[in-house]
Amino acid sequence: MEQGPGEPCGHQIPEKASRIHEEEDAKEEGEEEEEEKEENELGDPAVLSAIHGAQRGDKGSPRLKAPSGLGMSPVSLHFLCQTMDYLSPISFRSTYPSASSPARHFGPQLPSPDPSLFYSPPASWPPRFSLPSHQTQLHPQHQRILQKQRQEQQSSHKHQSPRVGKLWSQKPDPYAGLMNQREKDWVIKVQMVQLQSENPELDDYYYQEYYQKLERKQADEELFGRRGRLESPKLVTPYIQKTEDYESVVRIEGSLGQVAVSTCFGPRRAIDAVSHGSQEQDSAIYNQKLQVLYRIEKMFLQLLKLEENQKGMLAKSYFYELQRKQLEKIYQELRTGDQDNSEEAANGFLQVLSVRKGKVLVARLLLLLPRDQAVHLVLSITSHLPFLIRRDTADQALHMLFKPMGKCINLLAFSELLQGLQGLMVLQPGSQERPITVVLQNQFGISLLYTLLSHGEQLVSLNCSLTQHSSSDLAAWTDMVVLIAWEISHMSTASLAEPLVVPSNLPSLFCRYVDKQIVQQLEARMDYAPVATDLTYLGKLSCPPTYQSVRAEVEEGKIH
Amino acid sequence: MNYMPGTASLIEDIDKKHLVLLRDGRTLIGYLRSIDQFANLVLHQTVERIHVGKKYGDIPRGIFVVRGENVVLLGEIDLEKESDTPLQQVSIEEILEEQRVEQQTKQEAEKLKVQALKERGLSVPRVDTLDEY
Repeated sequence: MEQGPGEPCGHQIPEKASRIHEEEDAKEEGEEEEEEKEENELGDPAVLSAIHGAQRGDKGSPRLKAPSGLGMSPVSLHFLCQTMDYLSPISFRSTYPSASSPARHFGPQLPSPDPSLFYSPPASWPPRFSLPSHQTQLHPQHQRILQKQRQEQQSSHKHQSPRVGKLWSQKPDPYAGLMNQREKDWVIKVQMVQLQSENPELDDYYYQEYYQKLERKQADEELFGRRGRLESPKLVTPYIQKTEDYESVVRIEGSLGQVAVSTCFGPRRAIDAVSHGSQEQDSAIYNQKLQVLYRIEKMFLQLLKLEENQKGMLAKSYFYELQRKQLEKIYQELRTGDQDNSEEAANGFLQVLSVRKGKVLVARLLLLLPRDQAVHLVLSITSHLPFLIRRDTADQALHMLFKPMGKCINLLAFSELLQGLQGLMVLQPGSQERPITVVLQNQFGISLLYTLLSHGEQLVSLNCSLTQHSSSDLAAWTDMVVLIAWEISHMSTASLAEPLVVPSNLPSLFCRYVDKQIVQQLEARMDYAPVATDLTYLGKLSCPPTYQSVRAEVEEGKIH
Repeated sequence: MNYMPGTASLIEDIDKKHLVLLRDGRTLIGYLRSIDQFANLVLHQTVERIHVGKKYGDIPRGIFVVRGENVVLLGEIDLEKESDTPLQQVSIEEILEEQRVEQQTKQEAEKLKVQALKERGLSVPRVDTLDEY
């Protein structure tokens, strides 16, 4: 049923007619009211019914059945213009004296309005008797004020005429409801069609995230005992199986790049950052940089697809195989080349890591990779830390690798851990200082170092029997710890970077292997900040007197 | 938001008084009667409001059909607060005169600026390549 929003507008016509004549005298003078006055005088029920009749007209005449491009019956618009032309009150008054002939209408091509349509209640419209629809979206305070006003008015007036278009305190709008419900629904339908998508998680990512967050918040609120959980409405767009497949990028032979084809799905098609040019083996640095960026983009797309699959299908075993293959693909793409230890190692992995987006890629990938591959990547990072730190001065983005690396470090075996640490201590050819000095001065580096040490400590102390680790490993470990402690204590507090997290088992670790003097200096440098949640706390051990005695005991295989 | 939660739609704005700013700089005030999917608007009892300084003048225009792409922004007018403005309404003739004077001073200032830039060897971008406000 085409009705104005909320109320059957059929009722209002004869009532309006009587109201208009009542209010004519009692009207305030204002510019708008002046105009209104003129219209109301000629806007006798004949006009009003005709206007509404015009809307009904699209039901009657087949010509007007399908809504026009504008979504509005052309007749009603045309008619509206006509009424405005007849705005001279004097001449009009004489010709139409009677005010009570709803059947009379003027203007061309108007079928008589169907009276049954006026009085039948709207079938599709859920009656909202609390507030008219156009007011439900107001600020709650505004709503309360309006409701109060309305209640006051209701007590004074016997019957409330529907207020479509103006506030409660003002008189009804005779031109309201020009756009009937059917037309509104049509516009909404068109807008909904534009929102259809095969993959709403991708196309409408932000709304989906927002809605999930909202739902979670409401669930929490409900958990906390707040009854009466309001179900916030969700936009449900019809899910479509397959969108029209179209060529998004057009390649014209001999053109310099891509041509953006505009379609109804994307009027301004974005051009992807891919290079289709000939793959010349140009050794120009610029080209190399582009190659790296291109690789990163390719891998990122693969990663996104992978993550999307993971989110979508959680427990489908046959997808597991597919995922594994995809992961393997990405890993191969990323794989570190030869273990080149030179500072200017140009292998692909480090190049990828030199770019900010590459760091993001590796950080996200580390969470998905199987253990061995992840460990491999972590170790390559630790062995090239100074290089990476140097290349990161512009971006300052290494910290985003910290969390995923921390997770991987916790999976490291003792020997792998030692390998990682040893990489830090080896004196690089061509430089005077050990890598560790650079590492300690960088926040990411020092946090990583602490995490490694903490994990080592965890591994050592967890294993009751020493046969788990070979004595040479343990010896190497103690040497490492001592060396690192020495380095830290001999670095000025000013140049030491502030770590992201200081694991709680570090003080005890140093206590055990290092003499009191150095321990004091270490304490001064490391502020024992609150421990990270993913590092388990081990009981603090008592500090044995000297390093020598501990060393001896370790060698004897007695300790712990 | 009734119909489509999470989206913005003009459906709830129908039959309310709106202020519409057009790309050519005009300000229209009228009752929004009808819309379509391109946000073309039908404004009823429209008034073109010209602002010059603290004064404004209204020119009644009747019915406007505005093509959606020409709208910069539009917003509902609170009928209660509408009269609560520090601006002073004047007659049409006066406001048009004020506008003309304002345009003139602007043009003169612009001329001086162009002259100064020319003397320094700089040029001003062509007006037809910019959006006018």
